Amino acid sequence: MESKREEEFLRYTEPGLLRRFARNQLAALILILVGMVVVLSLLTRTFLTANNIFNVLRAFSWIAIASFGQSVVIIGGGIDLSAGSNMAFSGIVTAMLLVAGYNVVFSVLMGLLVTLGIGFCNGLMVSKAKLPPFIATLGTMSIIRGFCYGMTQGWPVRSLPRSFMSLGQTDVGIFIWQVPLPAIFMVVFAVLCYILLDKTKLGYHTYAVGGNEYAAALAGINTGRVKNVAFTLSGLLAGMGGLLMTARLGVAAPTAAQGYELDIIAAAVIGGISLTGGEGSVWGALIGAAIMQILRNALVLLGFPAYWQPAAIGAVIIGAVMIDMYRKRKV
Amino acid sequence: MRRGKWLVFGLVMVLVLGLLISGVFAQEKKKLTFAWIPKALNNPVFELGRDGAFAKAKELTETTDYTVEVLYVGSVASDAAEQVRVIEDVIAKGVDGIGVSCNDPDALVDVINKAVDAGIPVMTWDSDAPKSKRFTYLGVSNYDGGKAAAELLVRYMGDKGKVALLTGVPGAFNLEERIRGFKDGIKDYPGIEIVTTVACYDDINQGVQVVEETMQAYPDLTGWFFVGLWPLFAERGSMPLWEEAAKSGRVKTVAFDTLPVELEYLKEGLLVGLVGQKYWGWGYDTIQMLFDYVVNKKEFPSWTDSGMDIVTIHNVDAMIEAWKTSDFTKPLPPAFPEE
Repeated sequence: MESKREEEFLRYTEPGLLRRFARNQLAALILILVGMVVVLSLLTRTFLTANNIFNVLRAFSWIAIASFGQSVVIIGGGIDLSAGSNMAFSGIVTAMLLVAGYNVVFSVLMGLLVTLGIGFCNGLMVSKAKLPPFIATLGTMSIIRGFCYGMTQGWPVRSLPRSFMSLGQTDVGIFIWQVPLPAIFMVVFAVLCYILLDKTKLGYHTYAVGGNEYAAALAGINTGRVKNVAFTLSGLLAGMGGLLMTARLGVAAPTAAQGYELDIIAAAVIGGISLTGGEGSVWGALIGAAIMQILRNALVLLGFPAYWQPAAIGAVIIGAVMIDMYRKRKV
Repeated sequence: MRRGKWLVFGLVMVLVLGLLISGVFAQEKKKLTFAWIPKALNNPVFELGRDGAFAKAKELTETTDYTVEVLYVGSVASDAAEQVRVIEDVIAKGVDGIGVSCNDPDALVDVINKAVDAGIPVMTWDSDAPKSKRFTYLGVSNYDGGKAAAELLVRYMGDKGKVALLTGVPGAFNLEERIRGFKDGIKDYPGIEIVTTVACYDDINQGVQVVEETMQAYPDLTGWFFVGLWPLFAERGSMPLWEEAAKSGRVKTVAFDTLPVELEYLKEGLLVGLVGQKYWGWGYDTIQMLFDYVVNKKEFPSWTDSGMDIVTIHNVDAMIEAWKTSDFTKPLPPAFPEE
């Protein structure tokens, strides 16, 4: 009797497990993810095989890596539409250098450096020229895509060395599993971005600028610097994602990653990162990217007609964000 | 001394005469400019057509009394509105003929008619605008191509099995026609079941992904029809499940197009057959037809069949050679020589 009363008492004073769970955005997202996994493993024989899981992990790793950078930009109150073009461009620069006979390390570094530079230019246009991020990156998206076509004359760059392709095709043995290298990169970058956003002053400032730029500036935060760092990081990480994709496919096509910026932004938004800025975390973006890829995977495994797939993906984007909004209102 | 003078005089006369004659001829050699407009500049197959167009222009310039020039213009990406603008520019510039691959059968009718009314003959190639005043269409029936792919697959796979299809953007007219032809071709074999159709939105990465996923979802798959070559642009090792199944012969794959990357796959035995359009001919034949129409006043039927290349292990070497030498004028050896 005594203990029961105590329990009741606790229930009124402390928020219940369910309430606490609902209050935590990440937990809600994980719940959606787990729900999908359970349903899919019941409906198909192939979903919950190690082979398929790692296949899915690799497939969304580059989108996720690019969306970490995107998340930092969105949290800081901006948006980066040039992410897809950057993914293609870093692959093309690296591939062309490799074909020209340069070594892998140099080519990869150049590919990353170029997209880092593009990200920095985006940052300058936003912070110094005061262009709206949407316009500035819309412009770079088109400029970079033009460079992709122009430099390759429309042809995909092929015959890349094995040592480069192993970046995207190698599986690393962890316990009993063979985990694809891009998935490990993804986790590493997620941790790094998490540390940047949650454990550093710069990260704190990013949330502040995204939440209320005017107030942040009044508080003495160098908003221009925050934006520069965010866009530079987004360029670099998009380039990294593009490199891994190129390494996995063994080909750098000028048309690669076309429209991926929307997937990258959608991953962040599904992950609870508010487009108005100042809110969210990279873990959300990671789960958002996972949800999208699992959905695509599921539609194929279930034999869902290809013609209807875009409709299903759109519905999930809206659904996931609506659940998140509903949860926020409840709390 | 006298003889020397005469010799000099004679030489000078010959020189002057020669200059005169060549001058007259140079003036007589008329210039013809044909605009050759692909759907998009960002698709490599059109560059092969462009090379064909330039090759024919050079050939005509050398063998006829005309200097033929090709104006290669187009929109960067496939975009009907942008293509209309490009054609309007070409009309304003003034050319002697236009060959165009239409991004949309209806959207281009108006501008094609405008060109014809302005006295510029227009023909379509690869992709038609049948309701316009173009004088002919050079192209293949994608439906027949799909049927040919079905026959190829049955020949290698047998008349029983499970087949999957990979398409690009659902709803693209040429792809849908190939699929319709393929399905009609398969209909005659009740033992063959088409288990799924997956789409990759013309994206190499997504193509690789859905092929591998389909290989997992249908472990008893025996055949693939790649309606385009998207995943085949990727290097070995990116589709381990498909490669393993194709190498062991469990899965037979037929694909559309005959690009060098596919020829490599075919030579290794990972693909069993290819059905391809004659890209080179898109340019080479179009310029010839425009020339014949303008200069020789030749009449053309409303539709000119450009034919299909069927490539198997028996004639793959000839096709590889054609790509290497950029010379597609020689006819391809038969795909099945034993018949």
